[in-house]
Amino acid sequence: MKYLNKGIDEIHELLKSKKIKPIDLVEEAFENIENNKELNAYITLNKEEAIKTAKELEDKEVDNILFGLPIAVKDNICTNGLRTTCGSHILENFVPIYDATIVEKIKEKNMIIIGKTNMDEFAMGSSSRTSYFGAPKNPWNTNKITGGSSGGSAATVSARDVLFAIGSDTGGSIRQPASYTGIVGMKPTYGRISRYGLIAFASSLDQMGPMTKNVYENAVLLNAIVGKDPRDLTSANREEEDFTRFIGKEIKGMKIAVPNFLMGDVVSEEVKNKIKETIELLKKNGAVVDFIDVKYLDQAMILYQIIAMGEASSNLARFDGIRYGFQAENVKNIEDVYLETRGQGFGEEVKRRIMVGSYLLSGENAKIYYNKALSIRDDMRKEFNKVFENYDLIIGPTSVSTAYDLTDPMDDPRKSFMDDVLVIPANMAGLPGMNIPVGFDKDHMPIGMQIIGNSFEEAKMYQLGSFIEKELNLDLTPGGEK
Amino acid sequence: MEEKLTREELLHVANLARIKLTEEEIEKYRVQLRKLLDDVEKINEVKGYDDDILIACWDNNTELRPDTEGEMLDPKQVIENAPHHAGNYIEVPVVIGESEGA
Repeated sequence: MKYLNKGIDEIHELLKSKKIKPIDLVEEAFENIENNKELNAYITLNKEEAIKTAKELEDKEVDNILFGLPIAVKDNICTNGLRTTCGSHILENFVPIYDATIVEKIKEKNMIIIGKTNMDEFAMGSSSRTSYFGAPKNPWNTNKITGGSSGGSAATVSARDVLFAIGSDTGGSIRQPASYTGIVGMKPTYGRISRYGLIAFASSLDQMGPMTKNVYENAVLLNAIVGKDPRDLTSANREEEDFTRFIGKEIKGMKIAVPNFLMGDVVSEEVKNKIKETIELLKKNGAVVDFIDVKYLDQAMILYQIIAMGEASSNLARFDGIRYGFQAENVKNIEDVYLETRGQGFGEEVKRRIMVGSYLLSGENAKIYYNKALSIRDDMRKEFNKVFENYDLIIGPTSVSTAYDLTDPMDDPRKSFMDDVLVIPANMAGLPGMNIPVGFDKDHMPIGMQIIGNSFEEAKMYQLGSFIEKELNLDLTPGGEK
Repeated sequence: MEEKLTREELLHVANLARIKLTEEEIEKYRVQLRKLLDDVEKINEVKGYDDDILIACWDNNTELRPDTEGEMLDPKQVIENAPHHAGNYIEVPVVIGESEGA
């Protein structure tokens, strides 16, 4: 009997009435993962511990809707006693001695961590192919990329191995793979979720979020993982709210903006047409949709290159081979430890970005590049603020195309940035962004729509997302519903 | 011919980043870094923005945590996470190089 293809309300009732036990779900998840081994969605499985936890839960009261449900966690999020590699050789044997706040919250709800998902090395990439552990594959077509950097999380949810995964998003790394694999991925407002225990890439952009097969389950998981945390001073102190509260409500009168930049020439016709069809659907149901110009969006990629690479070079300075992780052998002195460990421990993409970042922050360059980027970023944020004075939400495509071949060339250093050109602006302005599947291309690869909300208005995004989901009623199980 | 950084420029950047490169990498990165640095140069063409800066997007005032004793990680575990350690210490190779004299 299969349970993990059911909705969480139904599974919750089954658990509550003792018709099934958490161990049934855990065993099913590992069976699914084994059957889908080819996807390479995981770097480390947590089998022994997950089974132990599931058995311990049998004596506990089923006290919340997430109780006993398996979840996958991206491998840049620290899990006490469970290897956390960041997809890198330099952390290949790193076992954290504490839990990230988000992991503590997952455990408080008695969810069960199934394993750590594959990802681009240090989340730097847009196809998950920079992983030291090999690229994950797209469940819709295993010759295609999953997108990235949260590619393993996207693949395992898309393949229906598990109901939930956590991803992280610095410049689109939740939304873009969600769009390539036909799932719902939410990057919440910067500050919603404590970043304590997330291995930092670009601290002013990084945010974690839920990746699920549908909107409702996404909102339920978000309910569980938000909140102020004294260990992350950028986490926001907000009143508790239920992110599912607008799900199912009508969208009549909703005002929606489509920035022309998001529908520009870089976007494939197939993707644009699908978005236009969805826009027509929204209009037919009483939403007001306007195409508008938003200044500075075309600069988002350059800002991202400067800010993300600069901050990465600083954050990744901690990987010195001394305190944890890999250390190069046969070194003469401490300087050699740094140079050799980092030279051998980091992969090609990561080294490239650290070098550019170091250059951008060195001496006067910090003023010429980084400060200027922060200044234009401020203006972009102000532009977004103006849009939200008149509109409830912004929409557009999530990606410029559908998933491409795993064998496509990787030698253009700009490629990974260009893949993310439509998703980067939300990170720049700290705004919440979500992917929602809206259809398929001619090869039946998923196409995603991006919904961007004003700060802390995730509930409204779920409202629109759930409406689209219900109206389109797509079969989003790779290979068809079983 | 493709534009690239000089060998010296590339090695300078690699040194800033504390990364040792192989010969093959040096040649590859001379081309690739040139492309990325050309990209970021375009920021100087952007006009019309004001002087305010946005370091990060949080709207709440920064609240510092109270200055009280909190939970600490177990020092033994922290030390054991280091690739080389002995007792309460992390072991490192020679810190002062021979050329600097002693």
